[in-house]
Amino acid sequence: MPRRPDLHTIYLIARREFTTRVRSRFFIFGTVLFAVLLAGYIVLQAVVISRVTTTVKIGFSGDAQTLAEPLKMVAATEKVTVQIHQLTDASEGDAQVQDGKLDAAVSGDAAAPDVAVKDNLDPTVEATLDALVKQVALDRALVASGADPAEVTGKVGAASVHLRLLDPNAAERTSRQVVGIFIAALLYVSLLLYGQLVAQGVVEEKANRIIEILLSTVRARVLLFGKVIGIGLVGLLQLTVLGLVALATISRYQVVSVPNVGVAAVLGGLMWYVLGFLFYALIFAAAGSMVSRQEDIGSVTGPLSMLVVGTYLAFFWVVANPDNPVAVALSVIPPFAVVIMPGRMATGDAPLWQVAVSVTLTVLAIIGLNLLAARIYSNSVLRIGSRVRLRQAWRGAD
Amino acid sequence: MSGHGLELQGIQKRYGDLVAVRDLSMDVRPGEVFGFVGSNGAGKTTTMRIVLGVLDADGGTVLWDGSPMNFDTRRRIGYMPEERGLYPKMRIGEQLRYLGQLHGSHAQSAAAATDQWLERFGLKNRIGDEVQKLSHGNQQRVQLAAALVFDPVMLILDEPFAGLDPEAVDSMSNVLHERAATGTPVLFSSHQLDLVERLCDRVGIIQRGRLVACGSIEELRGQGPTQIWVDAPAAPEGWAAGLGGGHVVRTDGSRVLLELEKSTDDQSILRAALATGPVREFRRNVPSLLDIFRHAMTEAPVAATA
Repeated sequence: MPRRPDLHTIYLIARREFTTRVRSRFFIFGTVLFAVLLAGYIVLQAVVISRVTTTVKIGFSGDAQTLAEPLKMVAATEKVTVQIHQLTDASEGDAQVQDGKLDAAVSGDAAAPDVAVKDNLDPTVEATLDALVKQVALDRALVASGADPAEVTGKVGAASVHLRLLDPNAAERTSRQVVGIFIAALLYVSLLLYGQLVAQGVVEEKANRIIEILLSTVRARVLLFGKVIGIGLVGLLQLTVLGLVALATISRYQVVSVPNVGVAAVLGGLMWYVLGFLFYALIFAAAGSMVSRQEDIGSVTGPLSMLVVGTYLAFFWVVANPDNPVAVALSVIPPFAVVIMPGRMATGDAPLWQVAVSVTLTVLAIIGLNLLAARIYSNSVLRIGSRVRLRQAWRGAD
Repeated sequence: MSGHGLELQGIQKRYGDLVAVRDLSMDVRPGEVFGFVGSNGAGKTTTMRIVLGVLDADGGTVLWDGSPMNFDTRRRIGYMPEERGLYPKMRIGEQLRYLGQLHGSHAQSAAAATDQWLERFGLKNRIGDEVQKLSHGNQQRVQLAAALVFDPVMLILDEPFAGLDPEAVDSMSNVLHERAATGTPVLFSSHQLDLVERLCDRVGIIQRGRLVACGSIEELRGQGPTQIWVDAPAAPEGWAAGLGGGHVVRTDGSRVLLELEKSTDDQSILRAALATGPVREFRRNVPSLLDIFRHAMTEAPVAATA
């Protein structure tokens, strides 16, 4: 357990990292841009998923006026809004259709109306009108043959198709999967980005030699911790802002059918960001400490970045095969779990025991990594020059 | 401030086969300015880092005020590394306060000290500027301020005068002397020997990890060879080279600079010169630090490996 003065030092270092980065144009601009893109994407989804209603203006005259209200009601269930207009006669209707003021004019006998349109009619309206007209004709025929139209219609209505739902939650599942993929994507991008920032920050301190002053007054492990926490909080802030923007936009436009999923997914995502970041940032920091120039960072962080991207790709396979034991294993083993498990939690595929196991394993891994990374960092961070070999960094021998 | 100041006893450090520091023992006393002199790679920076705890020595002890140096004391040492050691994009006021607090100052005293030192260096109006926006000389001043802002118990400066104009050199020297006068030991390294000669109370010459000379300029001069300027205008060409007991360092017209071996009596040289004719000049040469340095280099060839 670090001593109290060390805790204060960690606070100082973390605070410096946080305030310096949060004030930077990179952060502010990036967060705003991302938030706007995110909100825009959600709104676009909302618009595309047939939320748009069509409006059709129809005029009625004569006996056909009885068709107006039923047409409007049925059309509404098909998301078509019918605006009813009163007409005095068919010729007024023709004139208004020609002028474009009406989409159609219905006149004459309800069982055989005359429907005047310019060149076509909305198919939903046409089909509905057709069905209504048939119903009128049928009612009249029944009355003529002595039957009670209401009773006959009742019997006909009772004979309907009952669906046996084999997978009632399928639609909900799909939208949850979308959320899951989204969370996993956001997490892996954040881990990549902020992991890279940690490595760059470490190398910067080496390159401008401030590391010598820092290490003369601060223990290497304390410095490592302070940096990781400070940068991690920046990422957490950015993700929280994005999460809030996403939730607000989603609830405004009711894109996801189950809104509770949204909040739970965001909270789960944030928790896993914290765990994932602590896991990867320590490794990124140790990797960064082994080089002395920004240009060399790629050679040590490259494999790490590939691992992070790999976890995201693995996630797609896991989503498609939720019960496969390999999938379960992947969502529990720390390097993969931090991206895959939050995604699975969002899709609802993860039972509680799996979540508990993955969290425990990740926490243990973080504790172990803390020691490993701190050791490599301490041994490498002062070596200016060419890249430090991993064995050298581990042994610390000169 | 009383006490013994800094003491190094038998410090050893090697990197694989290369011995960076070999059996180094020296001390920097309270209130003195000590100059560290040596070629590149001689071990100056390594020694400083060992004192600061940034590097671990393989052997030997570092003492402060008679007891082994510990972390709490190390935190209070003001260090100026050889190359710039600052965050380029951080504002200078903020950075000085931060570094002060990292070294153990409270927020208020760090802030007050920051203001005071920036005022002293004429940078108060630039307190909100990023380090990288300052000129080299001003950045160096900020670097020095970073070492002073927490009222250090000792100053260790690695090549602090590199690249500075004479005005900046003066300004920095004054600050160093002031600090030393309050009792703070000051240790700095430099290649500019004339500066070291001017500023330092004592000097240590280090070569290939070994301290080959250590003491005040006067003491070092005394340890060095005896050199005499002799002007015997009537003497034949090359008369001095033929003299036993010494060799010619250089000539300047009829003036000859002779370096005598230890056993040679300078009066015998005077008699020999008088024998050639009139002697216009017979004067002890006061060796500069550069001369002492050169002499120390040639006198102490050591094997590179143990």
